[in-house]
Amino acid sequence: MKVLSEIQLDALTEVFNVGAGRAALSLSEIVGEEVMLSVPSIEVLKAEEVNSRVLTLKDDKFAIVSQLFSGPFDAEAVLLFTENYALEIVRDMMGSQMSIEDLAEFEQEAMCELGNIILNACLSAMADMLGISLNSSLPTYAMSSPDEITTRLAEKGVEDGDSSYILVLHIDLVLEKHHTEGHLIFLLSSTSLSKLISHIQQYLNNIL
Amino acid sequence: MSATSSPKKVLIVDDSKVSRMVIKAHILAAYPDWSVQEAASGEEAIGAVERDLPDYCTMDINMPGMLGTDAAEIILAKHPQLRIVIFSANIQEAAQSRAQQLGALFVAKPVTEKSIAQAIGHFARGA
Repeated sequence: MKVLSEIQLDALTEVFNVGAGRAALSLSEIVGEEVMLSVPSIEVLKAEEVNSRVLTLKDDKFAIVSQLFSGPFDAEAVLLFTENYALEIVRDMMGSQMSIEDLAEFEQEAMCELGNIILNACLSAMADMLGISLNSSLPTYAMSSPDEITTRLAEKGVEDGDSSYILVLHIDLVLEKHHTEGHLIFLLSSTSLSKLISHIQQYLNNIL
Repeated sequence: MSATSSPKKVLIVDDSKVSRMVIKAHILAAYPDWSVQEAASGEEAIGAVERDLPDYCTMDINMPGMLGTDAAEIILAKHPQLRIVIFSANIQEAAQSRAQQLGALFVAKPVTEKSIAQAIGHFARGA
Protein backbone atom coordinates (compact mmCIF):
# COMPACT_ATOMS: atom_id res chain seq x y z
CA MET A 1 0.00 0.00 0.00
CA LYS A 2 1.37 3.36 -0.98
CA VAL A 3 0.42 6.01 1.53
CA LEU A 4 3.18 8.48 0.77
CA SER A 5 4.62 9.54 -2.59
CA GLU A 6 8.32 9.05 -3.13
CA ILE A 7 9.13 12.71 -2.60
CA GLN A 8 6.95 12.92 0.54
CA LEU A 9 8.70 9.86 1.94
CA ASP A 10 12.06 11.45 1.18
CA ALA A 11 11.02 14.67 2.95
CA LEU A 12 9.62 12.82 5.97
CA THR A 13 12.80 10.73 6.22
CA GLU A 14 14.87 13.91 6.14
CA VAL A 15 12.71 15.45 8.87
CA PHE A 16 13.31 12.40 11.07
CA ASN A 17 16.98 12.44 10.10
CA VAL A 18 17.31 15.94 11.56
CA GLY A 19 15.26 14.84 14.59
CA ALA A 20 17.43 11.80 15.19
CA GLY A 21 20.51 14.00 14.84
CA ARG A 22 19.25 16.24 17.65
CA ALA A 23 18.30 13.21 19.72
CA ALA A 24 21.79 11.76 19.23
CA LEU A 25 23.35 15.04 20.36
CA SER A 26 21.28 14.98 23.56
CA LEU A 27 22.09 11.33 24.17
CA SER A 28 25.82 11.83 23.53
CA GLU A 29 25.87 14.66 26.06
CA ILE A 30 24.22 12.39 28.63
CA VAL A 31 26.43 9.34 28.16
CA GLY A 32 29.62 11.21 27.25
CA GLU A 33 30.40 9.34 24.06
CA GLU A 34 29.67 9.62 20.38
CA VAL A 35 26.40 8.06 19.26
CA MET A 36 26.67 6.31 15.91
CA LEU A 37 23.61 6.99 13.75
CA SER A 38 22.42 4.74 10.98
CA VAL A 39 20.85 6.06 7.79
CA PRO A 40 17.14 6.34 8.63
CA SER A 41 14.41 4.62 6.69
CA ILE A 42 10.66 4.74 7.08
CA GLU A 43 7.93 2.18 6.65
CA VAL A 44 4.22 2.83 6.92
CA LEU A 45 2.28 -0.28 7.96
CA LYS A 46 -1.24 -1.12 8.98
CA ALA A 47 -1.27 -1.83 12.71
CA GLU A 48 -2.23 -5.46 12.15
CA GLU A 49 0.72 -6.00 9.79
CA VAL A 50 3.21 -5.23 12.49
CA ASN A 51 5.23 -8.09 13.88
CA SER A 52 8.60 -8.37 15.55
CA ARG A 53 10.28 -9.18 12.23
CA VAL A 54 9.05 -5.91 10.69
CA LEU A 55 10.29 -4.03 13.73
CA THR A 56 13.61 -5.91 13.48
CA LEU A 57 13.59 -6.59 17.18
CA LYS A 58 16.22 -9.24 17.72
CA ASP A 59 16.62 -9.06 21.47
CA ASP A 60 14.41 -10.80 24.03
CA LYS A 61 13.63 -7.81 26.20
CA PHE A 62 13.42 -4.10 25.59
CA ALA A 63 13.23 -1.06 27.78
CA ILE A 64 10.42 1.03 26.33
CA VAL A 65 9.63 4.67 26.88
CA SER A 66 6.54 6.00 25.19
CA GLN A 67 5.00 9.41 25.02
CA LEU A 68 1.88 10.85 23.43
CA PHE A 69 2.27 13.89 21.22
CA SER A 70 -0.71 16.01 20.22
CA GLY A 71 -1.20 19.00 17.96
CA PRO A 72 -2.27 19.21 14.31
CA PHE A 73 -1.95 15.43 14.44
CA ASP A 74 -1.63 12.96 17.31
CA ALA A 75 1.07 10.34 17.57
CA GLU A 76 2.50 7.96 20.11
CA ALA A 77 6.27 7.97 19.98
CA VAL A 78 7.97 4.86 21.32
CA LEU A 79 11.64 4.51 22.06
CA LEU A 80 13.10 1.03 22.49
CA PHE A 81 16.43 0.24 24.08
CA THR A 82 17.97 -3.19 24.44
CA GLU A 83 17.37 -4.03 28.05
CA ASN A 84 20.70 -5.11 29.46
CA TYR A 85 22.38 -1.79 29.02
CA ALA A 86 19.53 0.54 29.84
CA LEU A 87 20.71 0.69 33.45
CA GLU A 88 24.25 1.55 32.40
CA ILE A 89 22.93 4.52 30.47
CA VAL A 90 21.00 5.53 33.56
CA ARG A 91 24.21 5.31 35.58
CA ASP A 92 26.03 7.62 33.16
CA MET A 93 23.10 9.94 33.20
CA MET A 94 23.07 10.18 37.00
CA GLY A 95 26.82 10.73 36.89
CA SER A 96 27.28 8.91 40.16
CA GLN A 97 29.28 6.09 41.60
CA MET A 98 26.13 4.24 42.58
CA SER A 99 26.01 0.50 42.05
CA ILE A 100 23.71 -0.95 39.43
CA GLU A 101 21.59 -2.42 42.27
CA ASP A 102 21.08 0.95 43.91
CA LEU A 103 20.33 2.49 40.57
CA ALA A 104 17.49 0.08 39.90
CA GLU A 105 15.46 2.22 42.29
CA PHE A 106 15.80 5.21 39.98
CA GLU A 107 15.47 3.22 36.79
CA GLN A 108 11.85 4.07 36.09
CA GLU A 109 12.29 7.78 36.61
CA ALA A 110 15.63 8.04 34.85
CA MET A 111 14.54 6.07 31.79
CA CYS A 112 11.42 8.25 31.53
CA GLU A 113 13.60 11.34 31.62
CA LEU A 114 16.00 9.89 29.05
CA GLY A 115 13.10 9.00 26.75
CA ASN A 116 11.59 12.43 27.31
CA ILE A 117 14.82 14.14 26.22
CA ILE A 118 15.32 11.93 23.15
CA LEU A 119 11.71 11.85 21.96
CA ASN A 120 11.30 15.60 22.45
CA ALA A 121 14.55 16.32 20.59
CA CYS A 122 13.21 14.29 17.68
CA LEU A 123 9.67 15.67 17.74
CA SER A 124 10.76 19.28 18.26
CA ALA A 125 12.89 19.06 15.10
CA MET A 126 9.80 17.83 13.27
CA ALA A 127 7.64 20.62 14.73
CA ASP A 128 10.24 23.29 13.80
CA MET A 129 10.67 22.05 10.25
CA LEU A 130 6.95 21.67 9.63
CA GLY A 131 6.13 24.95 11.40
CA ILE A 132 3.71 23.34 13.82
CA SER A 133 3.46 23.00 17.58
CA LEU A 134 3.25 19.65 19.37
CA ASN A 135 2.47 19.03 23.03
CA SER A 136 3.73 15.97 24.82
CA SER A 137 2.30 13.90 27.65
CA LEU A 138 4.42 12.56 30.48
CA PRO A 139 6.49 9.57 29.39
CA THR A 140 5.76 6.05 30.57
CA TYR A 141 8.28 3.28 30.99
CA ALA A 142 7.99 -0.49 30.72
CA MET A 143 9.99 -3.62 30.03
CA SER A 144 8.58 -5.78 27.25
CA SER A 145 9.36 -8.62 24.89
CA PRO A 146 9.10 -8.05 21.10
CA ASP A 147 5.84 -10.06 21.05
CA GLU A 148 4.33 -7.95 23.81
CA ILE A 149 5.37 -4.81 21.94
CA THR A 150 3.82 -5.85 18.64
CA THR A 151 0.65 -7.16 20.31
CA ARG A 152 0.25 -3.86 22.13
CA LEU A 153 0.80 -1.83 18.96
CA ALA A 154 -1.73 -3.94 17.05
CA GLU A 155 -4.28 -3.66 19.89
CA LYS A 156 -3.75 0.07 20.11
CA GLY A 157 -4.48 0.25 16.38
CA VAL A 158 -7.79 -1.54 16.81
CA GLU A 159 -8.72 0.62 19.83
CA ASP A 160 -8.24 3.80 17.82
CA GLY A 161 -11.04 2.62 15.58
CA ASP A 162 -10.16 4.28 12.30
CA SER A 163 -7.59 1.60 11.36
CA SER A 164 -4.31 2.91 12.73
CA TYR A 165 -1.05 3.03 10.93
CA ILE A 166 2.33 2.47 12.37
CA LEU A 167 5.08 4.63 11.07
CA VAL A 168 8.22 2.69 11.78
CA LEU A 169 11.32 4.78 11.75
CA HIS A 170 14.27 2.47 11.43
CA ILE A 171 17.15 4.33 12.93
CA ASP A 172 19.77 2.85 15.14
CA LEU A 173 21.45 4.94 17.77
CA VAL A 174 24.47 2.85 18.66
CA LEU A 175 26.54 3.46 21.76
CA GLU A 176 29.73 1.50 21.31
CA LYS A 177 30.85 1.65 24.91
CA HIS A 178 27.46 0.46 26.09
CA HIS A 179 26.82 -2.03 23.28
CA THR A 180 23.30 -0.82 23.07
CA GLU A 181 20.93 0.19 20.32
CA GLY A 182 17.82 2.34 20.25
CA HIS A 183 14.86 2.14 17.89
CA LEU A 184 12.12 4.69 17.31
CA ILE A 185 8.53 3.90 16.38
CA PHE A 186 5.60 6.24 15.75
CA LEU A 187 2.00 5.18 15.96
CA LEU A 188 -0.60 7.30 14.18
CA SER A 189 -4.25 6.83 13.33
CA SER A 190 -5.08 7.09 9.64
CA THR A 191 -6.64 10.52 10.28
CA SER A 192 -3.44 11.72 11.95
CA LEU A 193 -1.30 10.18 9.24
CA SER A 194 -3.17 12.06 6.51
CA LYS A 195 -2.76 15.29 8.50
CA LEU A 196 0.97 14.59 8.86
CA ILE A 197 1.17 13.96 5.10
CA SER A 198 -0.57 17.25 4.33
CA HIS A 199 1.96 19.06 6.56
CA ILE A 200 4.79 17.31 4.75
CA GLN A 201 3.27 18.44 1.44
CA GLN A 202 3.04 22.03 2.72
CA TYR A 203 6.66 21.83 3.81
CA LEU A 204 7.60 20.64 0.31
CA ASN A 205 5.53 23.39 -1.31
CA ASN A 206 7.33 25.99 0.80
CA ILE A 207 10.87 24.83 0.15
CA LEU A 208 10.67 23.85 -3.51
CA MET B 1 26.71 38.89 -2.62
CA SER B 2 29.14 38.58 -5.49
CA ALA B 3 31.39 35.65 -4.82
CA THR B 4 32.98 35.24 -8.18
CA SER B 5 33.66 36.73 -11.52
CA SER B 6 33.22 33.53 -13.50
CA PRO B 7 30.47 30.91 -13.22
CA LYS B 8 31.34 28.09 -10.84
CA LYS B 9 30.58 24.39 -10.70
CA VAL B 10 29.00 22.92 -7.57
CA LEU B 11 28.60 19.27 -6.67
CA ILE B 12 25.71 18.54 -4.25
CA VAL B 13 26.06 15.24 -2.40
CA ASP B 14 23.07 14.01 -0.37
CA ASP B 15 21.05 10.80 -0.29
CA SER B 16 17.90 12.87 0.21
CA LYS B 17 16.54 14.09 -3.12
CA VAL B 18 14.56 16.79 -1.30
CA SER B 19 17.73 18.15 0.30
CA ARG B 20 19.52 18.17 -3.06
CA MET B 21 16.60 19.99 -4.68
CA VAL B 22 16.50 22.64 -1.95
CA ILE B 23 20.26 23.25 -1.99
CA LYS B 24 20.24 23.43 -5.78
CA ALA B 25 17.28 25.83 -5.89
CA HIS B 26 18.90 28.24 -3.42
CA ILE B 27 22.30 28.18 -5.10
CA LEU B 28 20.78 28.80 -8.53
CA ALA B 29 18.61 31.58 -7.11
CA ALA B 30 21.77 33.35 -5.91
CA TYR B 31 23.94 32.41 -8.90
CA PRO B 32 21.81 31.55 -11.94
CA ASP B 33 24.88 30.98 -14.13
CA TRP B 34 26.51 28.35 -11.89
CA SER B 35 26.27 24.73 -12.95
CA VAL B 36 25.15 22.08 -10.49
CA GLN B 37 25.88 18.36 -10.43
CA GLU B 38 24.31 15.92 -7.97
CA ALA B 39 25.43 12.70 -6.29
CA ALA B 40 23.45 10.48 -3.89
CA SER B 41 26.38 8.82 -2.11
CA GLY B 42 30.03 9.30 -1.20
CA GLU B 43 31.08 6.78 -3.84
CA GLU B 44 29.10 8.62 -6.54
CA ALA B 45 30.64 11.90 -5.39
CA ILE B 46 34.20 10.59 -5.81
CA GLY B 47 33.31 9.40 -9.34
CA ALA B 48 31.65 12.72 -10.19
CA VAL B 49 34.70 14.70 -9.04
CA GLU B 50 36.97 12.57 -11.25
CA ARG B 51 34.73 13.04 -14.28
CA ASP B 52 34.22 16.77 -13.92
CA LEU B 53 36.09 18.62 -11.18
CA PRO B 54 33.78 21.11 -9.40
CA ASP B 55 34.89 24.31 -7.65
CA TYR B 56 32.65 23.72 -4.64
CA CYS B 57 30.91 20.79 -2.99
CA THR B 58 28.19 20.31 -0.37
CA MET B 59 28.43 16.95 1.40
CA ASP B 60 25.96 15.11 3.65
CA ILE B 61 27.54 12.75 6.24
CA ASN B 62 25.03 9.99 6.91
CA MET B 63 24.40 8.22 3.59
CA PRO B 64 24.16 4.62 2.44
CA GLY B 65 27.68 3.31 1.79
CA MET B 66 30.61 5.43 2.89
CA LEU B 67 30.35 8.40 5.24
CA GLY B 68 30.37 11.79 3.56
CA THR B 69 33.31 12.86 5.71
CA ASP B 70 35.31 9.85 4.43
CA ALA B 71 34.41 10.74 0.84
CA ALA B 72 35.41 14.36 1.51
CA GLU B 73 38.77 13.24 2.87
CA ILE B 74 39.48 11.17 -0.27
CA ILE B 75 38.40 14.02 -2.55
CA LEU B 76 40.43 16.66 -0.67
CA ALA B 77 43.56 14.48 -0.69
CA LYS B 78 43.55 14.70 -4.49
CA HIS B 79 41.97 18.11 -4.90
CA PRO B 80 42.90 20.25 -1.90
CA GLN B 81 41.73 23.43 -3.63
CA LEU B 82 38.11 22.23 -3.66
CA ARG B 83 35.97 24.01 -1.04
CA ILE B 84 33.65 21.66 0.80
CA VAL B 85 30.73 22.35 3.11
CA ILE B 86 29.57 19.44 5.28
CA PHE B 87 25.78 19.58 5.69
CA SER B 88 24.73 17.23 8.45
CA ALA B 89 21.84 16.31 10.71
CA ASN B 90 24.38 14.60 12.96
CA ILE B 91 25.33 17.67 14.99
CA GLN B 92 27.45 15.94 17.61
CA GLU B 93 30.83 17.40 18.51
CA ALA B 94 32.62 14.43 16.90
CA ALA B 95 31.03 15.10 13.50
CA GLN B 96 31.76 18.84 13.70
CA SER B 97 35.40 18.38 14.63
CA ARG B 98 35.88 15.82 11.86
CA ALA B 99 34.66 18.44 9.36
CA GLN B 100 37.02 21.04 10.84
CA GLN B 101 39.99 18.67 10.64
CA LEU B 102 39.26 18.27 6.94
CA GLY B 103 39.26 22.04 6.51
CA ALA B 104 35.58 21.96 5.58
CA LEU B 105 32.82 24.15 7.00
CA PHE B 106 30.25 22.31 9.13
CA VAL B 107 26.66 23.44 8.67
CA ALA B 108 23.82 21.91 10.70
CA LYS B 109 20.77 20.57 8.88
CA PRO B 110 17.91 21.19 8.17
CA VAL B 111 18.73 22.71 4.83
CA THR B 112 17.21 26.19 4.95
CA GLU B 113 17.82 29.53 3.31
CA LYS B 114 19.96 30.49 6.32
CA SER B 115 22.12 27.35 6.31
CA ILE B 116 22.63 27.59 2.55
CA ALA B 117 23.68 31.23 2.93
CA GLN B 118 26.40 30.02 5.35
CA ALA B 119 27.58 27.53 2.73
CA ILE B 120 27.62 30.11 -0.05
CA GLY B 121 29.57 32.45 2.24
CA HIS B 122 32.19 29.74 2.72
CA PHE B 123 32.43 29.24 -1.04
CA ALA B 124 32.74 32.98 -1.61
CA ARG B 125 35.64 33.28 0.84
CA GLY B 126 37.61 30.85 -1.28
CA ALA B 127 36.97 32.61 -4.56
